[in-house]
Amino acid sequence: MKGHIIAGTAIAAIAASLPLAAHHSFSAEFDGTKEVRATGAVTELDWQNPHAWIHLTVTEICERTSRGRGGPPGGGPAEPEAEWACRTPGADEGEWAFELGSPNGLMRQGWTRNSLKAGDVVTINGTRARDGSTNSNARNVTTADGRRMFAGSSEDATP
Amino acid sequence: MRTSHPSVALRALSTGLIALACSTVASAQWDPRPDPNVPRDAEGNVIMDAPTPRTADGKPDLSGLWMRTNCTPPGGRGGRGRRGGGDGAGADAGEGGGAGGGGPGGFGRGGVSLEPQQAPVPCEPDGPPAAAFFEAGQGMEGGLPYTPWAKELRDARAASNARDNPDAQCMPMGFLQFHQQPQPRMIIQTEKMILIEYEANYGIRHIYLDGRELPPQGEPQPWWYGYSVGRWDGDDLIVETNNLRGADEDSPYDGWLDVNGSPYSREAKITEVFRRPTFGHLQIDFTVDDPKSYTEPWTVRVDQRLLPDQELIEFVCNENQQFERRIQLDQ
Repeated sequence: MKGHIIAGTAIAAIAASLPLAAHHSFSAEFDGTKEVRATGAVTELDWQNPHAWIHLTVTEICERTSRGRGGPPGGGPAEPEAEWACRTPGADEGEWAFELGSPNGLMRQGWTRNSLKAGDVVTINGTRARDGSTNSNARNVTTADGRRMFAGSSEDATP
Repeated sequence: MRTSHPSVALRALSTGLIALACSTVASAQWDPRPDPNVPRDAEGNVIMDAPTPRTADGKPDLSGLWMRTNCTPPGGRGGRGRRGGGDGAGADAGEGGGAGGGGPGGFGRGGVSLEPQQAPVPCEPDGPPAAAFFEAGQGMEGGLPYTPWAKELRDARAASNARDNPDAQCMPMGFLQFHQQPQPRMIIQTEKMILIEYEANYGIRHIYLDGRELPPQGEPQPWWYGYSVGRWDGDDLIVETNNLRGADEDSPYDGWLDVNGSPYSREAKITEVFRRPTFGHLQIDFTVDDPKSYTEPWTVRVDQRLLPDQELIEFVCNENQQFERRIQLDQ
């Protein structure tokens, strides 16, 4: 894959402090308390404005059951590690779609429309839609060989 | 309203790491085209603190591609807030981030970044409070001085998760949201006119510098981008705008100053003071005088950093607009 990968909590800390690419009303569409992690094979990278979408056939779906996040940066009282409940998806929830940022912003992050191809196995962290569907908002994408890409989530930057 | 953000420690940490982020991201931006007219050091790095560039007639030249940035106060206090009106739940620094809250008061989430990270600029202690993207008055003691009409409207907009915010609907945003939106804006300055092209939602503004007067309010008609005229006061460019479509139009997308929905009305007169104190820094002091919406005029500041060697990238928002179709919103 061409493009750069950012990894590591130091960079994540920076990302946490700055706004993200904006577009859609994150809070109208997605429920920030419903965190999800999906692993599966990409069926399509839909490279369109105002948001690209990754479609995948999921083999494992995990939902966060506690909101702990370990110790805060720089020390201080530790919080419990997050807990996840994982399952093999049922027949009615095998196909998931994750919203990314817009192509212009993704390009500035090193993505291209060819960054993922059908069959690539990825793990996506994200947030579920309020309507309970399998549409979600991606936060980051990790490939099977460990490369990690930020997804240009609209959270924290959008109406 | 808050005058400083609770996550000061994280902000200080982040500030220290900005340079790292910059160097990482810069290596991956698409197709940078080195500008031969940019001042550089021996290693080829752009000298952002170089003197203000000037036009042939000696005026500051505001031209360039700009990205909004934060200011960092001496001692690390404060800084520009993000989501207004709440007690941030603390930042998430690790894998997968944490639960930012999903509502007002949530802070950042780890692991996502799309905006090229920009080095912050120093806050000026005597300058106006920094604007915040979600809540324009977050840095003001007591928040914005809403009239009852504006407060009711702002609260209704926020309660609907800002679903009618023009950014979410591919519509033109209010200037203050445009100035802070994390897609860059290009300023093109000529002797008689300045053009501002916002990458987000194809925003485009014409600011006339030919000495004309502002037209009467309401004439020729209110527009999304109003009617803007500018004049130089020393090195400050003072831009006044009236004839704006306001939140008193029929459309729910008019008259939004920030993400949460602080409004402006058709009565609004907006004054922006643009200055470029160094090669790589643009300041915009943004004043709203709108008796229908605010009991007194107020001013906030937006700082911008130059994005050298880069260009706008096309963003045609309506290409495949899915908002409110792919996901069922609450009614």
